[in-house]
Amino acid sequence: MTSQGTENGTHRRSMSSREVLSQTDRAINAMSQLHHRSRSVKTSTELAHDFRVSEREKMASRASSTRPRERSPLRPEKEQPESVRVASTESSNTAGTMNQPPQTVFNHEVTLLPKALSSLARRVHPSPLSFQLQGLKKPPPLERMTLDVQHAVIMDDLLHVLMGSEGQYIRFHERYNPSVEVDRLSGPEFRLAKGLDPSLRDLAKALLKLATYHSSVEAFVEIQSKVEYGVVNHALCAAMRHIMKEYLALMSDMEYKMLTSPSFTLNMFHIETMDMGRKLAELSRIVQQISRKEEPESEDADDLGTDFDKIMETLKANDGNLNALSNLGISKTTSTIAKGGDVIKLLTDRLYSVSGDPAARELLTYLVKEASRPYMRMLNMWLHRGIIADPFNEFLIKEQKSIRRERLDEDYTDEYWDKRYTLRKDDLPPQIADARTCDKILLAGKFLNVVRECGGVDVSNEIKDVPETIDDPRLLSNINAAYAHANGYLLSLLINAHKLSERLTSLKHYFFLDQADFFTNFMDLASHELRKPAKNVSTSKLQSLLDLALRQPGSITATDPFKEDISVQLNEVGLTEWLMRIVSVSGLDPGDITAMQLSAATPASDKSSERDEKKAITGIQALQFDFKIPFPLSLVISRKTILRYQLLFRHLVALKHIEQLLGVAWLEQAKSAGWAQRSKNRHLQRWKSRAWNLRAKMLVFIEQVLYFSTTEVVEPNWCSLMAGISEVKTVDALMQNHVDFLDTCLKECMLTNSKLLRVMAKLMAACKLFATYTVQLSKTLPTIDFEASDANSAATDKISKLESILLQYEQNFDHHLKILMDALNYYAATETVVLLSLCARIEVCMIAETQHDP
Amino acid sequence: MPREIITIQAGQCGNQIGSKFWEQLCLEHGLNPDGNLRTDLPTAGATADRKDVFFYQSDDTRYIPRALLIDLEPRVVNGILNGPYAKIYNPENIYLGNDGGGAGNIWASGYRAGETLADELMEMLDREADGSDSLEGFMLLHSIAGGTGSGLGSYLLERLSDRFPKKIVQTYSVFPASQQVSEVVVQPYNSLLSLKRLTQYADAVTVLDNAALSRLAADSLRVQSPNFDQTNQLVATVMSASTTTLRYPGYMHNDLVSLLASLVPTPRCHYLMTSYTPFTADLVDQAKSVRKTTVLDVMRRLLQPKNRMVSTQQSVNSCFISILNIIQGEADPTDVHKSLLRIRERGLASFIPWGPASIQVALTKKSPYLQVSNRVSGLMLANHTSIASLFKRILDQYDRLRKRNAFLEPYKKYPMFADGLEEFDDAREVVEDLINEYRLAETAQYLA
Repeated sequence: MTSQGTENGTHRRSMSSREVLSQTDRAINAMSQLHHRSRSVKTSTELAHDFRVSEREKMASRASSTRPRERSPLRPEKEQPESVRVASTESSNTAGTMNQPPQTVFNHEVTLLPKALSSLARRVHPSPLSFQLQGLKKPPPLERMTLDVQHAVIMDDLLHVLMGSEGQYIRFHERYNPSVEVDRLSGPEFRLAKGLDPSLRDLAKALLKLATYHSSVEAFVEIQSKVEYGVVNHALCAAMRHIMKEYLALMSDMEYKMLTSPSFTLNMFHIETMDMGRKLAELSRIVQQISRKEEPESEDADDLGTDFDKIMETLKANDGNLNALSNLGISKTTSTIAKGGDVIKLLTDRLYSVSGDPAARELLTYLVKEASRPYMRMLNMWLHRGIIADPFNEFLIKEQKSIRRERLDEDYTDEYWDKRYTLRKDDLPPQIADARTCDKILLAGKFLNVVRECGGVDVSNEIKDVPETIDDPRLLSNINAAYAHANGYLLSLLINAHKLSERLTSLKHYFFLDQADFFTNFMDLASHELRKPAKNVSTSKLQSLLDLALRQPGSITATDPFKEDISVQLNEVGLTEWLMRIVSVSGLDPGDITAMQLSAATPASDKSSERDEKKAITGIQALQFDFKIPFPLSLVISRKTILRYQLLFRHLVALKHIEQLLGVAWLEQAKSAGWAQRSKNRHLQRWKSRAWNLRAKMLVFIEQVLYFSTTEVVEPNWCSLMAGISEVKTVDALMQNHVDFLDTCLKECMLTNSKLLRVMAKLMAACKLFATYTVQLSKTLPTIDFEASDANSAATDKISKLESILLQYEQNFDHHLKILMDALNYYAATETVVLLSLCARIEVCMIAETQHDP
Repeated sequence: MPREIITIQAGQCGNQIGSKFWEQLCLEHGLNPDGNLRTDLPTAGATADRKDVFFYQSDDTRYIPRALLIDLEPRVVNGILNGPYAKIYNPENIYLGNDGGGAGNIWASGYRAGETLADELMEMLDREADGSDSLEGFMLLHSIAGGTGSGLGSYLLERLSDRFPKKIVQTYSVFPASQQVSEVVVQPYNSLLSLKRLTQYADAVTVLDNAALSRLAADSLRVQSPNFDQTNQLVATVMSASTTTLRYPGYMHNDLVSLLASLVPTPRCHYLMTSYTPFTADLVDQAKSVRKTTVLDVMRRLLQPKNRMVSTQQSVNSCFISILNIIQGEADPTDVHKSLLRIRERGLASFIPWGPASIQVALTKKSPYLQVSNRVSGLMLANHTSIASLFKRILDQYDRLRKRNAFLEPYKKYPMFADGLEEFDDAREVVEDLINEYRLAETAQYLA
């Protein structure tokens, strides 16, 4: 009795579903093109789609004129007259067991959802669940039907269910609540009406699995097409839709067969859908994996930071328009969404695990390919342009926009270079996850970014012939090529456009004093100022004196193009003190200088000792230069390296200063009458000779150290650095070379070893003291000389006093020199071979004296 | 520019050497004979030199030597003024004797001339000194045998130390070729009197010995009797080499003090001798073909007495007080280090037993304007005790003359000697003390 009705109904339905199918096709095509566009702009296609959806709804409702509030527009109604349904309010025992209030009245009008999940999602209210509807007329019980009728009825019902809606005999399980996302994603469970013949029941159950998969995949597509899920998810959804389209085609084919071929059985139905079943099962598994991944709620501080940056940016861009925020889809859930590389990673992992199954492999390969397209677009953009177009934070590189290059000047930690772009280490697609590759990717883009920031990126060459999907075999070669290209680009920018070598040469002038004429001049001009205690020295005065010295026409620095960038600073801490701190902080590894920043940033907590020390050091000890480095070069010549330059500079200045003091002492001893004249008193004359000799010894020592530090340490290392620059292939290697150069210099100048530092400091202090002492003496010497010629006892006392003081100086110097030699010998043998040379030099010079010293 | 040095050329010899020196500097700094920068040189743009030590720039951008040309007879200076480099000098800085007679090889005459011309000379010196920002010192070029260089030079030395007590006075003093019979019979007198001033008022005296210069010139140029032009070229080369660290500043030795301070440990022993190698065809015409020039070769050759520009008699005890090697060209620091070790191992240089064996090396660039075929060239400035033998020789010659009271008449005409010859005795004592000091310095008792 129902067969005719069924016949009619299905016929009508098949018409409408075919129509809808073609519309869906178009919509899907349109959507897959559009899926990455901004949500805020509703394109005409989308509007058209909206329109079509609503039209379709109307048509469907008109065609069926029953249950208009369907879960799917494809679901037309069957033979039940609507009056029955509408009036069925009395038998309401199926109260909503879930949290929904039971719907007692069935409204047959189609209403649009106020706001759809995503542009691809269903726009109409889902149909009410059958068990929540009251007064549904019970379909005729199956028990009373013949097998044939059961077969026809269940086939019909199955077609409904496979389209995602309920049938008459196949209903959703009560546990299934379509308004809960998790339920939808895991797909509905079904309940078969009682009385079905077991032979049909088993086949139906097998087919019902397909329906579950289908629903879950469809739900996934709907949910993951939301804007905030990112373009990779969008692309994945598009790919899934493509398969869903095949599925729909298959279903309509099945329906057609069912309607036209009387020999079409449920068994055939099952067999024909088996392939699709496998596919959907695989898809569903992926859906489960991805949605499971999203579950753990973890707060990621970094991501919040990124979000915050983003908010700030949007605020700026939109002139404080807060509405813009809503468009970005910023919510806490963004941090737990599996997206971008993570999705690709999941897919790829799955691909690897099913690689034995050709069908699944084909499917997954397809998915990986499609899902990775937008990702690869981003990757190519990054690799070849240095741009991140990643509104959903799914790319493997994270950008901290708040770190700006303008801050590099004050910043000691090279934030810009190290922190502005970072890898999202956790969700790297396995294809590029190995450390070398992703580092290359990171660097390639970073380099281009720098080039772009300097306004010099060459965008004329098209990004072409690059892999568009992640499984492209050219992927790695593309990365390598991009890396090499970016490297070469930035290198040439640094070396050619920004004159790295010239900069370094300038640095060498100013910090290593390799053409020290300007510095001698500066010391002459500023000698008065530099003699003061450091805290009384006026930096601005020194600066103007330095400018004067630098601009002196005829001096070598006058032609230096970077002389404007140099400035005077006064450090609060004496060099030795500072270095000692560094060495003690670094513990066993004196080569490591990162601790310097620590000590530089946080002066010792003991305030009082700090003050004492400040009082103690003079201007010349506190003097250091600073050098302004413009942006791209500051990557290589960073604050860290400038610090090292300053340390070396202060070391050299200290030596030079003592050399100068001893030079002054020499001049004084040669020029002043008291010193130069031959004394009548034999003791006094002998004392003078000894004093001259000690001064000469000190001078020789200081000059040997200075010679060693400059000619044997700085200069050869410098030469190898410069030679390296012309050969270096990558910017990072260049930076490394530069830092290595400085570290080597520091180490070989004995600035990283506490023992050597201490001894050197003592020796230098001794030289300094003695130099000033002898100059002071030149006033009193003539009187002593005069008195001594009379051989009176007062003069003899004075002379013996002088002798004892001199003896102290001599012993002090010799003692420490010996300690230094021992230490040098030891360290030359154990760690720094170059020290051997200094050792030998001092030995050569001092040996005669040691032989004859009693 | 800081650390300027004013050059004073006194007398015939001083001016001849000086003119060669300035020619050499012009070549090394790429200057035309008129003082303008040469524009035809490829390296003209890339200058890393400091011309201001020895030159100043005139209003029309020409470089003018900080030089005073003083002579009591006009022949040599006129020769310079008729030469190609005539225009480079500041005409205000040239003083020529009015009478044209010169000092007649009498020290006292030169000294007396100095006294009478004092105002004019000091005016010139003051003007030059005022033209410098931070004058470092003076360089006096003269010979001690003649009249003007020795007499006037001595007077200038006295006045300089009086007027500029804190400025360094360095001299390049040409000593007479003592072995040969000189045409100037009174040269021991002149030398002795000059030596006294050099000892007392100069801070460093670079001793150049005409005999050694001729020998070197003859040796390197393969000519029987080299003329003054050729020997003066040698002197100019040495002078330019010893000032390279000032003109092409490097890490160290950028001023005169740092050069001299370690060379002259005790104030009175400030006589330096020089060696230079190799004299090549580029520096001296018709020089020998270039030998192998490694750093070790150069440094070893510098230590050989035959390359010294002073003829001294070395005794067993004579030794170095200090050495400064200025190596020009592409010298590798490790080579230098090896060479120093080698020198020490082989005992090529013996040092004073009481003080530091100060052997220093300064590496400098070569002038980019000069094309030379040798890779490395070297100059040694050394303080060696054997220099005393030179003084001894002069003293002996003086004693021989003095014993006979020969040729004293011309001196007695001048106020200094009018009342007696105590000045001679005084000078003799100073020189004898000096010789004794050098002798003492050869022993460990120097400090005792």
